[in-house]
Formats: sequence, C-alpha cells, structure tokens
Amino acid sequence: MQCLPGNASPGPVGSGRVRRGAVVQLVLFGLVAAAFATAVALGFDWLPDPASKQADRIFFLYWLATAISILVFAVVSAVLIYSIIHFRAAPDDHSDGPPIHGNTRLEIIWTLVPTVLVIVIGVASAIVLSRNSDAGTNPLIVNVTAEQFEWQFAYPHQGNVTAAELRLPLNRTVKLVMKSRDVIHSFWVPEFAQKQDVVPGITTTLVITPDKLGTYPLICTELCGLGHALMRSEAIVMQPAAFDAWAKNSSSAVAGGGATAGKAVFEAQGCGACHTFKPAGSTGTAGPALDKETLYKDAQLAGLSVPDFIRQSVVDPNAYVSPGFPKNVMPGTFGSLPKDQLDALINYLVPTSTKTVSP
Amino acid sequence: MTTDVATEHHIAQKPRRNILLRAGFVRAAWMAVLFFGIFEGITVLVRYLEGWYPLWKGDVVTTVALTVVPLGFLAGIGVFDYWVSYFLGGPTVPDDHSSHGAYSWKDYFKVNTDHKVIGVQYLGTNLFFLLFGGMLALIMRAELARPGMQVVDPQTFNGLFSVHAALLIFLVIVPAFAGLANFVLPLMIGAPDMAFPRLNALSFWLLPMGGIIMISSLAVPGGPFATGWTGYAPLAVHQPLGQVFFNMGVQWAGASSIMTALNFLVTIITMRAPGMTFWRMPLLVWANFTTSLLVVLATPFIAGSQFFVMFDRVLHTNFFNVNEGGYTLAYQHIFWFYSHPAVYIMVLPGFGIISEVISIHSRKPIFGYRLMAMSLLAILVLGFSVWAHHMFVAGMAPWLRVPMMVTTLLIAVPTGIKVFSWLATMWEGKLHFTTPMLFVLGFLSMFLLGGLSGIYLGSVPVDIHASDTYFVVAHIHYVLFGGALFTIFAGVYHWFPKMTGRMYNEKLGKLHFWLTFIGFNCTFLPMHLIGLQGMPRRVSDYAPQFADWNMFISISSFALGASTIVFLYNVVYSWRFGEKAPANPWNAMTIEWLVSSPPPVFNFDEIPQVVGGPYEYGVPGARHAIMAPSHAPAHEEVPAH
Repeated sequence: MQCLPGNASPGPVGSGRVRRGAVVQLVLFGLVAAAFATAVALGFDWLPDPASKQADRIFFLYWLATAISILVFAVVSAVLIYSIIHFRAAPDDHSDGPPIHGNTRLEIIWTLVPTVLVIVIGVASAIVLSRNSDAGTNPLIVNVTAEQFEWQFAYPHQGNVTAAELRLPLNRTVKLVMKSRDVIHSFWVPEFAQKQDVVPGITTTLVITPDKLGTYPLICTELCGLGHALMRSEAIVMQPAAFDAWAKNSSSAVAGGGATAGKAVFEAQGCGACHTFKPAGSTGTAGPALDKETLYKDAQLAGLSVPDFIRQSVVDPNAYVSPGFPKNVMPGTFGSLPKDQLDALINYLVPTSTKTVSP
Repeated sequence: MTTDVATEHHIAQKPRRNILLRAGFVRAAWMAVLFFGIFEGITVLVRYLEGWYPLWKGDVVTTVALTVVPLGFLAGIGVFDYWVSYFLGGPTVPDDHSSHGAYSWKDYFKVNTDHKVIGVQYLGTNLFFLLFGGMLALIMRAELARPGMQVVDPQTFNGLFSVHAALLIFLVIVPAFAGLANFVLPLMIGAPDMAFPRLNALSFWLLPMGGIIMISSLAVPGGPFATGWTGYAPLAVHQPLGQVFFNMGVQWAGASSIMTALNFLVTIITMRAPGMTFWRMPLLVWANFTTSLLVVLATPFIAGSQFFVMFDRVLHTNFFNVNEGGYTLAYQHIFWFYSHPAVYIMVLPGFGIISEVISIHSRKPIFGYRLMAMSLLAILVLGFSVWAHHMFVAGMAPWLRVPMMVTTLLIAVPTGIKVFSWLATMWEGKLHFTTPMLFVLGFLSMFLLGGLSGIYLGSVPVDIHASDTYFVVAHIHYVLFGGALFTIFAGVYHWFPKMTGRMYNEKLGKLHFWLTFIGFNCTFLPMHLIGLQGMPRRVSDYAPQFADWNMFISISSFALGASTIVFLYNVVYSWRFGEKAPANPWNAMTIEWLVSSPPPVFNFDEIPQVVGGPYEYGVPGARHAIMAPSHAPAHEEVPAH
C-alpha cells in the first residue's frame, strides 16, 4: 500500500521504526503498568485457599493466565499512555497525521504472538482438564441428589448412609455421581475449585481429591428458582478414621429405630436447613418453625390432628402452606421416604404431650 | 431545493380522516382491544368445543394475547397500511413519500419511512429502556448492599436481574447499533434511504412491542420472568406466568432484528454509490455487513429455543420433560448457538464505530484496513464454532470441551489484531480528545480487560471454577458495558451534530465520560474478586464474608447510575439550545459529512461519486467522495456509470 510522508510528521514514518527516546519511554510506561497490574494481582486474595489437588492445578492455570494478561496489559498500556501524552494535537492544530496505511511485518507479528500465547494456555488447560477428570482406580463413590432447594449425599459403599452435608475423608479421591430430581442445579465448593451442573435426565460426575481438613461452603451456582440463593450446604473434610466412624454410626442409627432413628432421618434429609427445631438444634428460617405452638396452630387451621398434619406436610407439602410462607418451596419428594423412616421422622417431630396418638 | 421538495411531499398528503380511523395511537388502542377480543373469543370457543377446561387458562390466554395484541397495535399505528391497501386493490403510488421525513417532533411518534427518523426513533426507544433497565439494576444493588433480605423478596429479585438483562441486551445494545447504523449507514454509502423503507418502519415498531411485553411482566401475578435472560429449561417450563412474557417478548425483538439485518444486507450489497467497491467501504459498513450476516443466520435459533419452551408450557409437548424422553441440554445448545454469536452482534458494530471515530479524531488512516475487514469476517466464522464454551460445566459430552476451548481462545487473535491496529492508528496521529474520542479510549482499555478475563474463562479448568460466579458478571459487563455501551456513547456523540444539526456540550460530555468511566470500574472491577473467592451469581443473599465489597459495589453503582443524568441533560439541552452544527464539524472524509447537518430529507440532491478510500487523512488532495462529477480533482479517476 502507498505510504506518503506527511507534511508535519515529527519523525521517520511508515516502517515501524521508532525514535530511541520513544523506546525508552515505552519500556518505562510498560514497566509501570506491569508493576501496577502485578501489585493488584498480588495485593488481594483473589482465590480461596485451595483444599483439593484439582484446585492446586486450576489455580496454577489461573496464575499462568494472569502472567500472560499482565504482559498484554503492559504492552497495550504503554502504547496508549505514550500516544495520549505525545500525540495530543494542539488546540489550533488542524493538520493531519502521517498517512501510514499499515505495516505487514508488524501485522504478522501481532497475529502470530497472540496465537502462540493462546496455544500455550490451551495446551496447559487441556492437560489440567484431563488430569482433573481422572478419578483413579478406587475412588470413593458419593451419590449426589439435588432438588429445589437442597442437597443429599448418599454413600453406597458405606451402608447407604445419607446426609445433608458432604463428608469426605482426607486425601482420598472421590467421584461424585450426580442426579437432579427437578431442574438444573450446579455443585460448587470454591475451595475445591471443581464445579459441575446437576441435570435432570443425565448423570454427571465430578472428581475431587480433598487435601486439607476443614469445613467449606457448598453452593448451588445454577439459578434453580425461588430458593436458589439459600441452596447451600457444607463440605466437611475429615480424617479417614473419623470419616469411617461417622459412616458406621450413621448407618446403625438409621436402621436402629426409636427416637435416634427419627433424629437421624431429620438430619439426613436436611430438614434443619429450613426449619427451626430445638431438639435437633436446627435454626433454619426458610420454612415454619416446628415448635409446639406453630404445629398446633397450623394443624388446627388445616383441620387435622397434629401427627396427621405432619404426615401430610411431609408427603404433600402444598396441601396446606403455613401463612406467611410461599408455596412450592418445601420439596415434594419426601413422600418417597421408606415407611419406617417416615414414621420415625413423624414420631420424632410430634410434640411430647400428644405422642399417644402416634401410629 | 430540498425544502421545496419536502414541502411538496408534505402538502401532497391525503386529507385528514376521522381520528378513530386515521393511523395513530387512537386507532392502535382500539385495534389492539379488538384483536384481543376476537382471538381470545376464538380460543375460548375452540376450548369449549373440544372440552378443554378451564376455558380461560393463564398460559394460553397470555400466549394468544402477546401474539395478537401487538399485531392489532401495529395494524392500528399504520405499519401495514400500504400493504393492506395493495392487497385490497388500492391505488399504488410509485413514489409515495407521504410518511417520509420529520417536520415536527410529533413525526417521531408516527410510522415513518425515513431511515434518519427511524434511526432517531430507535435511539430514543433504546434510551428509555436503558434508563428503565438501569433502574432495575439499582434496585438489585440496593438489595445486595447487605447480606440477608431487605428490599425485595427472592422471586422479585430473580425477576429484577432477568428483566434487567433481557431489556439491556434485546432492547438496548442490539437495537442501538441498528439505530445508529440506520441513521448513518445509508448516508455513508451514498444511498437515498434503506433498500426497503416500509420494512424498516415495521422493524422499528416491532421493537417496542418486545420491550413493553417484557416490562409488563412486572405486573402479572406470580411476578416477572425470573430465570435470567438465559431462561434455561426445564426451570422456565415450571415458572409462573411471567415466563411467557419472556418467551414472546424475545420473538418480537428477534423478528425486528432479522428484518433490519436483511434490510442492511440488501442496502449494502445493492445501493452503494458508484465507485464504492467493497474495499472502499468505511469499516462501519463492513462491521454492519458482518453483523447482519450473524443476525440473519443466528437469531432464528433463539426464536426456536423460546418456541420449544412455549410449546412445553402451552401445548404440553415434552422437549425438556425428561420423564417423557425430553432432553434438557438441547435448550442450552440451541440457545447458545444464537446467544454466543449475539455477543458479536453486540460488539462488531461497535468495532465499526471505533474505527470511524479513532481515524477521524486521530487524523490518520486506519492502520491495516484490509486486515481490519478480514478480522471481522474471521470473527464471524469463528463466532459460530464456540457456543458450547458457555456449557463447560453443563454436563454436555466431555470431548466437546477441548475443541470449543481451542476455537474460543483463537477468537482472541482477530480481536487482538483489531485492538493493535487501533493503537497503531493513533500512533503519530494528531489526537483530538473530544468526548467520542474519550469514549473510544475508555472502550479500548475496558474491552482489553474484558478480553483478558475472557482468556481465563476460555480455559476450561479455570472456567470450571469461575463459571456462574460474579467473575462472569464482571466479564459480561466489561464486554457489554465497557465494550459495547461505550462504543454506542462514542457513536451518539460523534454523530450527534449530524443527527440534530446542533453541537453537544463538550464539557458536559467529558464530565459524563469521566463519571461513567470511574463509576463503571468501581462497580465492576471488584466483582472479579468476589466471584473468584466464591460468590455465585444470581443470588439475592450471600455469605457475610462478601459484605464489604458488595456495599462498595452498590455505592459505586449508584454513582454510575447518576452519571446518566449528565448524558440525558446534555442530549436534551444541546438538541434544543446547542450551537448550530456545520456540515462537517470533524473535518471527516466519509460521505455522511458531505451533506448538511441534519441531512436533507432525501439525503442527496446529486448522487455522490466515490473516488478513493474512506480514511485518506494526511494524503495531499485525497478525497473519498465528491458530490458532483464537475468537482472532481483532476488527478483522480472518476468511474464511469
């Protein structure tokens, strides 16, 4: 393309050559921008403390992308700042700049360099992805069931123990096998850095190798309706021995019957996440409290005896909804509980003075 | 000369009919009611005859109403008058200009076939929805200022962000570019109007139908649609009535988009002035050409996805009902097959604006013009092969993730070419820091950050951590606000003299820029941080550890909202009292600056001749176009025609 030198052009033009003073300034501006960006990148806690092997690898990629970003940011900022300072037209200057139409060498460079950079990120990402999806030969299997608006975790090889929070032994790779009962949910523990949608009609899996003891938030990250913001639970990483002991106790409690069985069902189904119930020490407020006064009042309004009312509310929650609470928040799926568990739960919830009516 | 022609056409209008029968808002009102009555009557009758009870069912009534009421309104306002009269054997006037051009402010509220009037109608509509959608965001930020629930209930909150996003995407960003291009593009290529002026009028009037439908969902029982602008099934199938307003609103806005895109394509291909080869087209024309291709090819997919949801709700089909063999992920694949290209629909025309403004206000030719045009085409092609990067955690086939990551990362290359070429355009230029130029510089830096956070999200493992968090909220706002909306502001300021015939107030413009730039960064930059740390998006309540940042973000967002007042005041005040604008205040080369400000009703008294490239700044004696062959410089060759 034709390149004519402009009349008022301050320096050599059209070949991509830049004056030496300009190079020094450009490098200087680039360093300042890079230092600023690095300070921002290091000065804040951008990431949670990783608690899984997968998170370590993902956060490595994060830092790789950050390094490349700082480089690009520094180059662009340097040119931008230099241009703003040096190429500002004087108020009465109505002349044009030099008619530079392009520079093939420069254009090839800024096509190739970004291509190489994104290939680097792409290859590193593909390697991390394949390693993070590898569950090894003997993972702990946890069946995850999501529904509006609660999580349930079942351990098929631990006597089918179920729990409302995810308990994991330290340093053992776990494979979550996930299903949804209604709409799409998404499983995320920020400290594990692993996330996976839980989709009706599909079984999805997720691999996690926790490597730090602690209790971490477990969040639904796919908009699933009214109670989405409250669809939270906990992931608890335990010593393997403590995990085994917990699994053993829980499985015998559910099978054992009596008040402990009711309590075990209450906890396993996660009722406490939404309901306040003193004997279980729960403080949830998304649903009505399960104290004596509230239960009596609601049972009366529904025209049922207290145990029948509790049974109806568990099996068919929309038949009667406590005033001040919206419909369709309480999951309708507890009706599928085995009869002995359901009876144990109702028995556990009925206030003491009316226990005689229980089945 | 021009005024004479205009007055002639004006006087030539038919005698005024009774207000009830005359095209206008009165007729639109009663025809909307009439259509509602007739078609709901038929619906109830059919249900009665078939024995389907209840006869009056919310979803059915609403779907029918949202189909026929806008049609009745459009028929009443008069967009179909010419075609109906033609069908009925009425006389056709080959050069009927009875509804062309604006002679008073009232003409902007009527059906008009003048592309310049339609352009302003678009931008006015977009401004209204920008303010409305922005208000919804501020209510949202009020709720999010502290953890727990204070201002609204959870369902309303879900509705707020859904309506906010739907309005800002479908009623502001996408159509604002159509509005700007409507005004500027025919002038730029030396055409007297768009190829199909009546279709153009229809496309404009379809747009507010979609917007009003979406807004009116706020008033229906059960609240507005609350599934985000993505409206994922199966949640959308089970939501209250408001969801139908999204399903149907999108159809009207989408139809508007497709018709405009077809119009642009035909206009660009067939109506360029003599001498304007494809390689002499301004980059704004190139940008709208590629965008229109994207719109025509992609928009039917979002229409399809919303029809599927609507069918599942109303006709009891089972596209997304897994118990009857439905497939949930089909929705996301179809939806994103439109909605990823939609990201480019929302930014490519902005690239065009940036190229115009940066070249003119730097007084230099665009660096690497051909590569700039080619990179637009590269983005067009690659843009269709990356949709599933929105679905890295969705549970789709795992093997699909790596190829989608590769195409996603590769899009950074043509985008990078554009950014570097703009920087090189400024290099050694004579930079005039006018308001449009400030918005261009703001765009360059904000879009750079949006592009860099896009690299993080393009890497599958990092995306697994960051998707569905506030990091994504930050990213989309850096691309669509710091990116697209900044280019719209740049374009509005740049062409304001051409559109209104008056100069905007430069001081207020600069104040608007700085308030927006600072408010924007304070609002959205910290969202990257809280997102990576663990705050999911689309929640009305959050863990207390994020409370401080959220308070900071909320305060900043109110400052950002307030900056719009400066813009509003500047537009209204300058339009009325601003200094009279010369034909070519920026000393630019492209054809729209060769006619008066505002341009004559029929654009050109003589057909312009294109004799060179559009950005020949600094080339002695160079011209892009001349208005009459007799004025041609001796050394330029004028193509014969």
